[in-house]
Amino acid sequence: MEEAEKELERRSKFLNSLIQQKKKAAIESEHEHESSLKVDVRACDMPLPLQNRAFQCARLYLESMPPANKLDSKRLALALKKEFDSSYGPAWHCIVGTSFGSYVTHSVGGFLYFSIDKVYILLFKTAVEPLDH
Amino acid sequence: MSEEAKKNFAGALTARPNSDEPKPAPVPAVPPKKVIIKSADMIPDMQKEAVDIAVAAFEKYNVEKDVAEQIKKEFDKRHGPTWHCIVGRNFGSYVTHETNHFVYFYLDQKAVLLFKSG
Repeated sequence: MEEAEKELERRSKFLNSLIQQKKKAAIESEHEHESSLKVDVRACDMPLPLQNRAFQCARLYLESMPPANKLDSKRLALALKKEFDSSYGPAWHCIVGTSFGSYVTHSVGGFLYFSIDKVYILLFKTAVEPLDH
Repeated sequence: MSEEAKKNFAGALTARPNSDEPKPAPVPAVPPKKVIIKSADMIPDMQKEAVDIAVAAFEKYNVEKDVAEQIKKEFDKRHGPTWHCIVGRNFGSYVTHETNHFVYFYLDQKAVLLFKSG
């Protein structure tokens, strides 16, 4: 009788363990799905940590939007520019879109042109001149 | 006799328009591009200059990057460095520019962003 109870308890623990593992695996696969937005660097003059920061910022923004929503280019451009202005000093400029060409002059180490999913993003820095006063 | 003379004259008259029929086809006029200034922090003369340079660049180049290059370089030359130019059908932007040195306009379906910074 007591042995039977022990066996039931053991089986119960085992099943709980299986359930937990399955939940964990589901969560992980969900994260993997979220990270599926592909990033292609098309032109770059920027330290790797800053690049990764830009990718992360863009990815988080795109993932936060409901799939049906149309891309809000200006809002994403603003988010990236603000992030970089506050983290790495002014002045950063950001262009986001699906169809554009550009010709800009940038500071050394302050240029990144990449695509993530179907969106193209240009992020670059220019030197800030002191006020004339 | 006089009636016969009239008829002959009329016949001769009708013959002449035939010789005029092979007329040269008129050259079709190219309609001017539609310009819409969406946003500007720039003196009017400079705005017009930007539009004129852009119109010329679009006539000369097909690739957006080449159009942007032409506009940026022309402004660097005329108004001193450093200018930046974006050209395209679909893009949003957020930039920091020097006071009085920013314009964003449309030429037909193409948007042009031109600003000075740095």
